Amino acid sequence: MKDEGMKGERDRGRERETETANCGQLQSRLQDYVTRELDPEGRRLFDAHLVECAECQRELALMTAVVSTLDHQPVLEPPPGFGEKVLASLPRQRSYVPSPWWSLALAPLLAGLVWLFRAPLEHGVAALLGRPVVSSITIPAVSMQQAGIAAAAVVGLGLLVAAGGAVFCWQVYLRD
Amino acid sequence: MFEYVESAPEEALVSRSARGDEQAFGVLVNRYKGMLYSMACRLMKDRGRAEDAAQESFIKAWAALPGFKGESKFSSWLYRICYNTCISELRKKRPEVELDEAMGVGVEGPAEEFRNRDIQAVIQEEVSRLPDDYRAALTLFHFNGLSYDEIARLAHKPMGTVKAQIHRGRALLKARLLDRVGWDNLKEVMWQ
Repeated sequence: MKDEGMKGERDRGRERETETANCGQLQSRLQDYVTRELDPEGRRLFDAHLVECAECQRELALMTAVVSTLDHQPVLEPPPGFGEKVLASLPRQRSYVPSPWWSLALAPLLAGLVWLFRAPLEHGVAALLGRPVVSSITIPAVSMQQAGIAAAAVVGLGLLVAAGGAVFCWQVYLRD
Repeated sequence: MFEYVESAPEEALVSRSARGDEQAFGVLVNRYKGMLYSMACRLMKDRGRAEDAAQESFIKAWAALPGFKGESKFSSWLYRICYNTCISELRKKRPEVELDEAMGVGVEGPAEEFRNRDIQAVIQEEVSRLPDDYRAALTLFHFNGLSYDEIARLAHKPMGTVKAQIHRGRALLKARLLDRVGWDNLKEVMWQ
């Protein structure tokens, strides 16, 4: 009983709403109605109003024509030979796009080079600052041979990663 | 061996093109040339410039394909390139050109003649007279089938602005259709 009472009240509320919904309110939602973006309740209100409003019927017909035309715009074909012209204009070699591989390769390469040339670098920096060379680099107690092997290993690793990057770039960016 | 037929999966064609396969890219060009050319025609209102813009868009796409990560649909990505190319062309200073006759139809004449003319042609012609922003938003939404959200991201505009441009564009078209043809003539054509 209570449910029926509430339903009746709801229906009467909707009727009042339909009666009071004016053209201005509904026409602001006209496009959503035509494009089916309006919620079901809004559609119901609109449908109820349309039955008795000639002005809204006219607006609906006009907007339907506009939306339908926009939705069915024809695909225009480009002039003959367009596709061939595009393919003939493609650059033979793609522009260089930096790859993250290069930054990975640069770090060990740079570290190895700095280590190998630490003495001239130190002298150069001292000369630039106009100060005497005071080495702050603590050289571990290893032989020159061991140091050389370590530096060569670091540079080698860098070169290896760089070579990997080069192969990757060739495959992805440069291969015709 | 990979057969480049028109029905080849797009993903495979895109991937091959990214690695430099011109044959695969040729299939993609063939598949999208109509859409890109039509889109450029509608944005630029000039078939000659539209052809150049569409061609440039494909060349840009070719160059950028290795960076295409597949986060959006390939078609949306391609439309974005074409949109940016056209907008950049439209922003360049140029002499104001007359509407390309082939883009619309003449609709001047006695009212009786409207009855036999295509209402769609009148609307199409009015589309080409809309402000650039409205025309672009309507083209992307209705012709390219992009969502409000996709257009907003593509055009770097808030979604509310895109929605408003689409709504205002349609409202302008409706008003101009009514002004030019008149309700009595429209009614007869629409409800005959």
